[in-house]
Amino acid sequence: MTADLKVRPPGRAVPASSPRRRSRGAPPWWFVLPALLLFAFVVLVPSIRGIYYAFTDWDGLDPDFAVIGLRNFTDMLDDGDALQAVWHTLLIAVAITVIQNSIGLLLALGVNSMIKTRNLLRVLLFAPAVITPIVTAYLWRNLLGPDGAVNAVLGPWGKDWLGDPDLALWMVVLVVVWQFAGYSMVIFLAGLQSIPREIYEAAAIDGTGSIRRFWSIVRPLLAPAITINLMLSIIGGIKLFDQVYALTGGGPGHATDTISTLIYKDAFTLGEFGYSIALAVVLTVIVSIVSAGQFAVLNRNEKAAS
Amino acid sequence: MKKSLSIALGAVLLTAACSSGTNANSGSGSGGGDNKTLTLASVDQGSVEDVVKAFEAANPGVKVTFTTSGADQYQAQIRTQLASGTAPDVMTVWPGNGNPGATYVLAKPGYLLDLSDQPWAAKLPDSFKSVAQFEGKTYNALFGLNGIGAVYNDEALAKSGLKAPTTWTEMLAFCRDAAAKGTPAYALGIQDNWVTQLVLYALAATVVFGQDKDFNTKLAAGQTTFAGSAWTQAMAKYQDMNKAGCFQKNPLGTSYEASQTLAATGRTLGIVQGNWIISLLKGKNPNGRFTMTALPATDDPATFLMPAAAGAGYGVNAKAKNKELALKFVTFVMSPEGMKVFNEKQGSLPTLPDAGTTVDPGLKELTTFVQENRTVPFMDQLWPNAKVQQTMLSGLQEVFSNQATADAVLKDMDTEYKKGE
Repeated sequence: MTADLKVRPPGRAVPASSPRRRSRGAPPWWFVLPALLLFAFVVLVPSIRGIYYAFTDWDGLDPDFAVIGLRNFTDMLDDGDALQAVWHTLLIAVAITVIQNSIGLLLALGVNSMIKTRNLLRVLLFAPAVITPIVTAYLWRNLLGPDGAVNAVLGPWGKDWLGDPDLALWMVVLVVVWQFAGYSMVIFLAGLQSIPREIYEAAAIDGTGSIRRFWSIVRPLLAPAITINLMLSIIGGIKLFDQVYALTGGGPGHATDTISTLIYKDAFTLGEFGYSIALAVVLTVIVSIVSAGQFAVLNRNEKAAS
Repeated sequence: MKKSLSIALGAVLLTAACSSGTNANSGSGSGGGDNKTLTLASVDQGSVEDVVKAFEAANPGVKVTFTTSGADQYQAQIRTQLASGTAPDVMTVWPGNGNPGATYVLAKPGYLLDLSDQPWAAKLPDSFKSVAQFEGKTYNALFGLNGIGAVYNDEALAKSGLKAPTTWTEMLAFCRDAAAKGTPAYALGIQDNWVTQLVLYALAATVVFGQDKDFNTKLAAGQTTFAGSAWTQAMAKYQDMNKAGCFQKNPLGTSYEASQTLAATGRTLGIVQGNWIISLLKGKNPNGRFTMTALPATDDPATFLMPAAAGAGYGVNAKAKNKELALKFVTFVMSPEGMKVFNEKQGSLPTLPDAGTTVDPGLKELTTFVQENRTVPFMDQLWPNAKVQQTMLSGLQEVFSNQATADAVLKDMDTEYKKGE
């Protein structure tokens, strides 16, 4: 009962309309409390406690370790592998975001039309997204191997897709896009289907062409779907690990290492936990900045559009 | 009332979630408080199962709870368990130094039980003692020995009409002839980066350590370096082999698994690998016969050395819940009976003489080299940290894809070596 009393706003005397509006629009804040507590104890608290180790030289084993201040972070600036991994990560994230969403949108426009097999196509195009990424990656590792199906089809134009440092990174992008373009498609499709048919009809009466119709009607009304798709793919791209690890292991050399694969290698192969956690902190900061910035921009566009 | 109830319920759920987590942890750590249960973590998938069965049969009433995993995953898991006090009683430990689950690394902070007073500890040959010990005390029950060399597919070799080379010059000619016939000499699957080191080790054994048996001591004392020693010759020979067409096309895109298929099915005449490959090749081609020889690195066969070293063994947790049973298990592993099961299943050689193990006939040359003391431990086992080896592995991939030169890789290895532990 005490909680009951506390959440009641001081303005109990205001006209009856106010509390009713509140109870419809915003549910009491403590509804989030159980979830928030769980999240805090399972994710937030351990993560924040983990950050402490970024300032130590802990090897993951020895209870005797020293606090070394910012040295892990300054070491990063001298570490060619780490800088290269940051570059690869950003490159992969941008490439995946652009390509995956362009293809996803085209697919959504396609299966949103009246073609006969649209239901079958929707299922088929979404199918790769339900497979575990690690399985897809192993599948493609075999397909793209020197004796794999891709080279068998290409014959003399075959290449060492995963062994060539100039191609390997793009193969990672290809595999991720192949798997998740259908996922983007589904979100775009949901957005497209929420656009009332009357608007199209009105536009058709006004004599608009299909490009004009897309730009002036579909694009602004699709803004929420675009926001969510861009957010998901860019965050997923920055954190990318499974597909890279299973496809190339970060190789050849370090040609496809991302921040995530480097974190894993530094911690578990080299036993440099302190340094690895420092890298993870940097990754967290990059993800936070990018997603906060992106959210702010897209949210503004969304509001402007509606 | 309903509102406060939901809070209370949330709190109850939360406590339940937390407490069940704790239970799961302590459960896997202790494995029961009685003295009939032993907990074990191992990387010897495919052989430890039989050893456990034999151990349980020899000790009625005893139950061994064990887990097996791949080396990468195991190293991550065991370190977390040791640091949090939930490690099993007996666990896989690698010899020497240079990887996160190695004897030096785990014994130094005091996680391993001193096994020096065990009867087998004194019987270990000197070359294994150095990697089973830390500061003069034995911590690792090393049961098996592995070597690296050229493994030939006998049938494919006979069909090609070529003869396995016995000198460096012969080998380059052999590679050219084999390539001309469309069946390259050796399968190379260096998409998995640990494979990159095997040819280099096979060459370096003769080229580096044949000239200077004390190379490692000098390296540790700072009297020599990788970049300023015969390691440059070993690197150059590795590239000469590549240029002579010794390996199939696109080795960087070929996985370890795919390389086994090439050699097992005769699409290459052989493979440069460890002796463990023989049982894997036979798995893919049950009728095949495979023979291992030293990889010729010079023109004087009398100087050939083979890299041969103890494989991973077992250590006892210093805080084992059931120390007595743990020691009993380790004693069993080192007994003729335990060694026989492990080594015959893994295709390795026993570390103790008179173990009564039947060795694969294809490993005759390796056995002879071991008996004549013409072996060199795997080079990384005495390097001061894991980064030296990892630098070499990714560096060799870069050499093969023209992203780096051999000299640059050796210089990077020197830099990491000098950083010490």
